[in-house]
Amino acid sequence: MSNQIDKDNFEPKIVAFLCHWCSYKAADLAGTSRLAYPTNVRTIRTMCSGSVDPVYIIKALLDGADGVLVGGCVLGDCHYQSGNYKARRKMIILHAQLRALGIDEDRVWLRWISASDGVMFRDVIFEMVEALKAKGPNPMKNPWDIWKSAKGGWKPKTINSPRGE
Amino acid sequence: MKVNSILKSENGDIFETVKSFFTKLFEEGVIDYLLVPQRISEGKTLTQTLIKGVDYLDGVNPFSPVMAINSAKLASQVGIAETDKKVGVVLKPCEIRALIELVKLNQAKLDNLVIIGIDCAGTFEIEQWAKLVEESGDAIAKETEVLKDIYAGKTDYAEEDAPIRLRSACQICDRFTHDKADITLSILGMEDDVLVKLEDELAAKLGLEAAEAPSSHKDVLEDMKNARTYKRESAFDEFRDKMQSMNDMADILATCTRCYACQTACPICYCRVCFFRTETFSPEPARILRWADKEGALRMPTEILLYHLTRLNHVAASCVGCGMCESSCARGIPLSILFQSVGNEVQKKLEYIPGMNIDEELPVATFKQEETI
Ligand code: SF4
Ligand code: SF4
Ligand code: FES
Repeated sequence: MSNQIDKDNFEPKIVAFLCHWCSYKAADLAGTSRLAYPTNVRTIRTMCSGSVDPVYIIKALLDGADGVLVGGCVLGDCHYQSGNYKARRKMIILHAQLRALGIDEDRVWLRWISASDGVMFRDVIFEMVEALKAKGPNPMKNPWDIWKSAKGGWKPKTINSPRGE
Repeated sequence: MKVNSILKSENGDIFETVKSFFTKLFEEGVIDYLLVPQRISEGKTLTQTLIKGVDYLDGVNPFSPVMAINSAKLASQVGIAETDKKVGVVLKPCEIRALIELVKLNQAKLDNLVIIGIDCAGTFEIEQWAKLVEESGDAIAKETEVLKDIYAGKTDYAEEDAPIRLRSACQICDRFTHDKADITLSILGMEDDVLVKLEDELAAKLGLEAAEAPSSHKDVLEDMKNARTYKRESAFDEFRDKMQSMNDMADILATCTRCYACQTACPICYCRVCFFRTETFSPEPARILRWADKEGALRMPTEILLYHLTRLNHVAASCVGCGMCESSCARGIPLSILFQSVGNEVQKKLEYIPGMNIDEELPVATFKQEETI
């Protein structure tokens, strides 16, 4: 299935959470300015990058996205003052968490794209598609494969948990 | 200024010693109520009780060898601002840390609480403890014996072949003291005496004389700290080596049923109503069938990975390492090392130690102008 897809023909799916006031407008502007960019991205409009709880990012990764982009206003320009700073905090936590679990954190991107920067939006999508093509399909997106190929090598018993004994 | 004082035990009975200390706290009006572990079921286990006076102090043991619940949750139930009733709450260091996190989350108030902290050598799983004391035939004698051992710094109870082992979270806990308590009781390296640390004014009020902590106390503290820190780091290293992909996470969670016991037990899981307990996660049958159509094979119950990845994300910055998640899991899933390893990475990155400084804001409620992901 997905692991058999050869890398050259692999088209990554990107879910992009874009804030209403900036990044989403930038995506719109890219469209109305007829800037061509890859069709791999599905956009979801949110009111602010700060309102994107990591649960949505994790859900997207588990449900078939190869990468997730969170787009917010340039720092200092958030419509709600500090939403994007808080989005960055959430991203710091998510990245550290994924790293600790041996899961590739570089599938989750955070970018500041102002409303007038359709060009940057286009460039980010190009860049992300390239990066994800290099990585190949997201191993998190086939849940049953994940469960089945759990190695069974680390049962509760073998960790030093008195519970399992 | 805080001072040390030593409570001498007659006939080596530390339980009587702490009982008379609590009696004094009541009599001097320092506390009106006391939340404290107390023996039930003929001493086979201990539970937290909230008692209203000196008549109910029989069988209290602040150094309880078991921990049924992270009592920060209980302290938050009795902490109120609008009262002159003082509640003494006997808490282990991980419980004090959780309480401080709850204060930051606006889910606890300290105003009327007198925090009586203990230096903690660790706790055992409840079922194993009950079995041990039952087999011994004399619950209190066994309790005394084991407590003396672990508080003298004996490491046997962390060994593979021990008759009973400390909870896995306790085995790797190197924050077993807490300096933010109003009063601290310690029997670490104290033979039969009890060391108490408190404000000098309070000491005077209780008629306690200032004294130096004996060197045996400091030695045990230091040795235990070193041994635990070493064990903690090794456990994190081992975990890091094992976690190579999502499959390793699935391995750990293979038998999870999303029963929510871990979430209920966690003092840091702060939402009043968890998102995972809403309609979103009990979808109508047709939807589940559609998912199966899409996946081909669907792990049931669904969303185990999402549940744990999300819970990990939400508690990582504040996880106090109490291990109640693991102790509550009927499947024996090693949640303590899972949550603490992630917590450790996240907290290091944020330069935040949960439950230490009440004035330091929660990492998710604040930010720095300059920081990198
Ligand atoms: S307590 Fe154990 S079985 Fe229940 S949800 Fe938590 S990990 Fe899963
Ligand atoms: S995640 Fe587990 S170890 Fe961490 S605070 Fe919650 S119950 Fe305690
Ligand atoms: S409104 Fe755009 S990041 Fe907050």
